[in-house]
Amino acid sequence: MSEKDRFNKQRIAGELEEPVEEARNLALKLGLVPYDVNYWVVDYDEMNELIAYGGFQHRYPHWRWGMQYDRQQKQGQYAGGKAFEIVNNDDPAHAFLQESNTIADQKAVITHVEAHSDFFANNEWFQLFGEGADAAAMLERHANAISAYMSDPDVERAAVERWIDNALVLEDNIDQHEPYAPVETEDGGDEVAVDDEVKDKLADLDLSEEVRRQVFDEEFLADDDDEPVSFPPTPEKDVLGFLRRHGKRFDEDAGRAMEMTEWQTDVLDMLRAEAYYFAPQKMTKVMNEGWAAYWESLMMTDEGFAGADEFLNYADHMARVLGSPGLNPYKLGMEMWEYVENRANRREVLERLLRVEGVTWRNLDDVVDFDAVLGTLEPPEALASITPESLGALDDVSDEYVDADALAAAKAGDVDVEQYPWKVLTTDGLARRHFSLVKRGNRTFLSRATQSELEQIGRYLFDDARYGSVEAALEDVDYSAGWERMREIRQSHNDVTFLDEFLTQEFVDANDYFTYEFSHATGQNRVASVDATDVKKKLLLQFTNFGKPTIAVYDGNFDNRNELLLGHQYNGVMLDVKQAKQVLERVFELWGRPVNLLTIVKELSDHDREVARRRNKEPEPSEQGKRFRFDGEEFEEFDVPWEQVSHLAADDVDYDTKPEEWLA
Amino acid sequence: MGLKDDLDRFREVGEQRREDLAEFIQYGELGASGRDDVRIPIKIVDLPAFEYDKLDQGGVGQGEGAQPGDPVGQPQPQPGDGDEEGDPGEESGEHEYYEMDPEEFAEELDEELGLDLDPKGKRVIEEKEGPYTDMTRSGPNSTLDFERMFKEGLKRKMAMDFDEAYLKEVLKVDGVGPQTAFEWARGESIPVSKAWLVDAYSKIPDDEKTTWASMEEMAGNVDREPIQAKIQREGIKHVPFRREDERYRHPEIIEEKEKNVVVVNIRDVSGSMREKKRELVERVFTPLDWYLTGKYDNAEFVYIAHDAEAWQVEREEFFGIRSGGGTKISSAYELAQALLEEYPWSEWNRYVFAAGDSENSSNDTEENVIPLMEQIPANLHAYVETQPTGTAINATHAEEVQSHFGDSDNVAVAYVSGPEDVTDAIYDILSTEDDSE
Repeated sequence: MSEKDRFNKQRIAGELEEPVEEARNLALKLGLVPYDVNYWVVDYDEMNELIAYGGFQHRYPHWRWGMQYDRQQKQGQYAGGKAFEIVNNDDPAHAFLQESNTIADQKAVITHVEAHSDFFANNEWFQLFGEGADAAAMLERHANAISAYMSDPDVERAAVERWIDNALVLEDNIDQHEPYAPVETEDGGDEVAVDDEVKDKLADLDLSEEVRRQVFDEEFLADDDDEPVSFPPTPEKDVLGFLRRHGKRFDEDAGRAMEMTEWQTDVLDMLRAEAYYFAPQKMTKVMNEGWAAYWESLMMTDEGFAGADEFLNYADHMARVLGSPGLNPYKLGMEMWEYVENRANRREVLERLLRVEGVTWRNLDDVVDFDAVLGTLEPPEALASITPESLGALDDVSDEYVDADALAAAKAGDVDVEQYPWKVLTTDGLARRHFSLVKRGNRTFLSRATQSELEQIGRYLFDDARYGSVEAALEDVDYSAGWERMREIRQSHNDVTFLDEFLTQEFVDANDYFTYEFSHATGQNRVASVDATDVKKKLLLQFTNFGKPTIAVYDGNFDNRNELLLGHQYNGVMLDVKQAKQVLERVFELWGRPVNLLTIVKELSDHDREVARRRNKEPEPSEQGKRFRFDGEEFEEFDVPWEQVSHLAADDVDYDTKPEEWLA
Repeated sequence: MGLKDDLDRFREVGEQRREDLAEFIQYGELGASGRDDVRIPIKIVDLPAFEYDKLDQGGVGQGEGAQPGDPVGQPQPQPGDGDEEGDPGEESGEHEYYEMDPEEFAEELDEELGLDLDPKGKRVIEEKEGPYTDMTRSGPNSTLDFERMFKEGLKRKMAMDFDEAYLKEVLKVDGVGPQTAFEWARGESIPVSKAWLVDAYSKIPDDEKTTWASMEEMAGNVDREPIQAKIQREGIKHVPFRREDERYRHPEIIEEKEKNVVVVNIRDVSGSMREKKRELVERVFTPLDWYLTGKYDNAEFVYIAHDAEAWQVEREEFFGIRSGGGTKISSAYELAQALLEEYPWSEWNRYVFAAGDSENSSNDTEENVIPLMEQIPANLHAYVETQPTGTAINATHAEEVQSHFGDSDNVAVAYVSGPEDVTDAIYDILSTEDDSE
């Protein structure tokens, strides 16, 4: 880095010191509890490198980073190299700011990053990797170790690369719902266990020492292959871990399976650790991005963290992020969080209203004037608009909303209220100030509550006659209800449970979602359903298990011949068979012996298609059990009877959203 | 190591992973390429994984007023596509391309299909100086062939030099004087002059003039040293250069023939040529164009569309045109003949490729087309019959042409009924060309 560059970065870093500090203060005020964040100012090229490396400075050598870099660069040429945030899940987190960004972009990135950091620190899925893991250091360690293997004259670089590829092919085939634990090295643990078992049995037989020594000698014990030993006892979803533990390499020269070399097991261990490290990010993409977008928007827009002059810039940035085509996780996530907030707030308000004398879930719509309610829910003027001149008005506002010390300091002129009005409020005060139901765009949300929702709330209220009037009831509204609920959910949910719980018909209608399916009769994708249940089903399919089919190890001694048997847990959607076979070729390299995959495919003949086309109907495919076997040279394909695959087929899920009379 | 390295590795991997050329021609997307820039999709950009069957999976889209049964355009990008830290605007499913120029394409196709078309140059475009291999006796100093002159001088020196010490011993034989020694030397082919012998004899002290009793005694006592050994021992003191050994290099004049080619693409655009047939023609013609562009220094293309009449069109519209009307193939050949006048056979390699579904108006093939094909001199005439729907009764053009020309070395007929036949057709066409010319 030249002196000039360094000074430039220092200057930018200097400018950003205050926004960084104040964004943190604001985040804390809003009830977030983020890890500390270290910010780094980087230039455009460095940013591209970081993006290519998945947000870190050092990664093991691999062509995949090159591919991402290439893509990033090409995109940058067209998109003008606009800023995106990079923040690492680490404690402290590390975030990167691109020096060429406008100050508005920098502030947006900083507020966004603070929310991500809060998510990392509080979402339970992120804790599965273990606490205090220094990710950057771990990845750098891996990079160095793998580089060293590649430079080792005894190891071919190409062999290491190929081995890495083998592991990457299975990077999503881990058990991401379980806490990460390194593979335990066992010195022939299984065999020992078997031997002990046999020895115990022999002891039970009460044989004379002589017989025992002559017949059941050590050779017999070592040779005990009579009993087929099937393992694992239950299907193992951590395929990568299983292969690390029990796999061998195929030695071309010897023509048979041999123990993996040390560098091979080491590489597998490292890549498996990385797979577990990155898994929570993949499992919470919608939630996490939505969370960050929500708080960024609140801080930047509602709290005016972007100065008036920067706001247009920021609005443009936000529009681009949320406006990108298709289903984008930022947009979907942010809309869902807003929905969660509105729902919780509505429930809070309705619970109060339903306790008003004479109001029931049946008549609520008729007896309550929602406009008047909304009027009451509006934040008091003193909270809504805070200027140095209006500070006095805060004396009349409830104590819980006002940070008394800060207010005193502000009155003394020690707090820049013009720029940071939120400083004089408490978290509750901010919740009151930003209560969602009275915001423009949400004002009909309260009155849109359905009868069934009202009934549900109404029926479960115990003392439903506590308030004499609507006004009295509204007095007790907890304005933090929405944010509290959001914080609870960000703690315990992942994308699958998040969508499952909060994607409702109301949400689907509001956002014009639909499902589509491929029509074999027309050779096209067709809209299949606009029903929320269906949309949810389809979305869940895309989020469950990283959007990939679930594969588990069913037998490590298949057919009692040391072959590997993988099973595809069929949920009604078949595998991409071509790719699955390519994966099997890789699995063979990690097992060293023949590998099998048991699955269910849908078969559809041209005749079926033709008949369906003539009848203007969709053809009904038949489901057939299949076993693919790869022995290192070629594939064999076996049709297997349904009884042998029925255990793989889930009968409680159905991801097909095609209606009956679809094409008519 | 480092990202630069990763990028290089990606490029290498990308090349290995680009779509197989034959597969690309048969099924690939040709539209991404231009005439001089062949873009081949990289087949697998990333590693394989256990994934759902894309068609069976379906998806979720967003759009106002969607009704079940409505067709959905391109599958929309889905959340979870792309990588964990990808940017929101990322268009997933975007193709990566491996780009090659037509030269590389031709080379690859040669390799892939086992072709070895070696185009011949025709038109003389310039006379240019070749290597400096001709010699003259005069010229500028810088072109003097010094090596040759040195060698000649050396040869001369070796021819002139002799073993002086030995000859002096000869003169010491009793009764041998310069005259006797000279005569002896002549008999021995030693290039010594009489004057040298007289001079040498006068320098020998009188008492030594009788050192040896006879020639035999001298020969028995003195070793004669060959001249090569002497040069090796003493080195060359000087090499006698002679004006007559001087030669000056002179460039050879060679005629540069440009390998130029004109390709006539003829396509039946009549009503019977439906979408699939049209696409098959494109799949055959486009790679042929690339191939010939890559093989020749200068390639020009003429595109002719015809139904019952023929007209010249631009490449951009060539594959898209559809008209109603009947079919008269000879109309296209008449036009081709006229247009080819600009490209005289003596200067241009010519390829005339026609494609259609073999339907033609009655007797046109026999009475008009075949004579025209015989009249138009060309490296190759080819007819590509595309008929994805099976044989129609009046579609006999290809058959007639084939039976007339038989195994002629400049007429090829190829049948393409589906994309899988395309590479075979290309091979048939390109391997037919007469090599004897």
